[in-house]
Amino acid sequence: MKGFLEYVPGDSLLHRLNPVVKLIGAILFAVACFCTSNLVFLACMLALALAMSASCGMLRATTGLMKAVFVFSLLLAIIQILFTPSGNVLVQLPWGYIGTGSLLAALTTVIRLEAAAIPLFLTFYVTKISDMTNAAVKVLHVPYKYAFTFSSTVHFIPVFLNDMSNIMEAQTARGVEFDQGSILKKIGLMVPLCVPLLVSSVRKTNSAAIAAEVRGFNLRTRESGYKQYPFAARDFLALGLVVALLVCAICLSVLL
Amino acid sequence: MTIEFRDVHASYDENIPILKGVSFTVNDGEFVAFVGTNGAGKSTTMRLMNGLLKPESGEVLVDGVPTTQLKTSELARRVGFLFQNPDSQICCNSVREELLFGFRALGALDEEAERRVDDIIAEFNFNPNDDPFLLNRGTRQLLALASTIVVAPPVIVLDEPTTGLDFRECVKVMDIIRHLHEQGTTVIMVCHDMEVVADFAERVIVMSDGRAVDQGPTFEVLRNRHTLRQASLVPPQIVDISLGLSLMRPDLGSSLVACANTLNEMEAAVAAAAGRPEAARSKPTYATTAPGAEDAFEEGGVR
Repeated sequence: MKGFLEYVPGDSLLHRLNPVVKLIGAILFAVACFCTSNLVFLACMLALALAMSASCGMLRATTGLMKAVFVFSLLLAIIQILFTPSGNVLVQLPWGYIGTGSLLAALTTVIRLEAAAIPLFLTFYVTKISDMTNAAVKVLHVPYKYAFTFSSTVHFIPVFLNDMSNIMEAQTARGVEFDQGSILKKIGLMVPLCVPLLVSSVRKTNSAAIAAEVRGFNLRTRESGYKQYPFAARDFLALGLVVALLVCAICLSVLL
Repeated sequence: MTIEFRDVHASYDENIPILKGVSFTVNDGEFVAFVGTNGAGKSTTMRLMNGLLKPESGEVLVDGVPTTQLKTSELARRVGFLFQNPDSQICCNSVREELLFGFRALGALDEEAERRVDDIIAEFNFNPNDDPFLLNRGTRQLLALASTIVVAPPVIVLDEPTTGLDFRECVKVMDIIRHLHEQGTTVIMVCHDMEVVADFAERVIVMSDGRAVDQGPTFEVLRNRHTLRQASLVPPQIVDISLGLSLMRPDLGSSLVACANTLNEMEAAVAAAAGRPEAARSKPTYATTAPGAEDAFEEGGVR
């Protein structure tokens, strides 16, 4: 999980887009995926998301992400198959049945979640977190305090994952059997380790807050940042494309 | 228990090699220090010893068994590991629970374990009910050390045990480690403090750019300015003084080393008289001359 949500330098089109456009674009892309249940449209969205990821050389990281999202979406899909019967009966169950409609709905859920997640995660890999914060403050007029909270949260995810990894290594070195046994056993062993992780998280957060405070955090305003984030033609084009996708999704959900 | 590295290559990312063919042997009962700059591969070497990292090629043998054939949790019985940051190790709500945790993890919690924990609490002067997370940095480091040694592993690996400690805490930690070594525990330590290395280690392995560039008795290695410069290290003052005196008054330089040897012999005699023959055995004897050392000193210049 090292490098999770961490910026990867590059010079692709996605790297060069305005941070605000990337953020809004990713959100609109995800909204479009949730606006319609048209399987063909969702498959196209997934293909488009993968193409974007390939264009900036992040296909490997995306594959890892897709695996994680797949596990989560599979759980939802199984619940959907077992408890939301629809369509022609395939398997009779004591409490209902598994139907063709349930399978289609489950497949839709999996593809939708995969398609919606990729651009959101990709945004963090192709945008410096400081640029995202500064652009949100400068362009979207988000108060710096909130933007900083958001960026700190994202920044601390890989830090805490790294901490957890270190703690697990230290406990393995003491004889805790993280390196053998079932996943359930490992989860059971991880629970007590939440204490040191929580303690180190609170310590780190406290240190970061004090450091920010002594460097004049409260004096910072929208004008404090020197870097400007002007919109270029490619930004308008990218935003137009995402809006068009959203309109398509809405039309499909209304018409079909 | 011996630890042997045979042409070990290791990395965290396949594109960035960290260890580039490291070979050495740590014999039973030795006190070996690894020195080198940050990024030289010392901590990676330590992680290979207890199986937290497996070699890409070559072999790491613990008592003749390759670590690739053993689980890290199994190796924990043989090789105790003290991490640089005690907060990675500490996970229980009281000092006593923390000390018992190792026995629980190894499935060895019994009356003998309880007794040993009580002994350690008395030896380290801990309050068994204290919350480990509320202790100061030095005491947390001591607790991490105590919870590593309480299960009595035959080998103990210490990754920068004195980092962040004040002088008094540093001396306390190192005295405990020296005592462990005197009782027969093999001690392997990464340390940036060359004075600590000169005072405690019997043998030094110098690492630079993923390779073991020199190894040998502590004073011999620390007098080799060429190697130290290659590893961007500065020798401890005692070595500088000894070599400086050797240049100005060869008789005095040799006398200084002879004094150190006499002191060690006296300490060994006291230990033997007190019924601690293992302590007597652990005292190093320094050579009074090192071939080429004076040349190297002149080359390096007097600081």
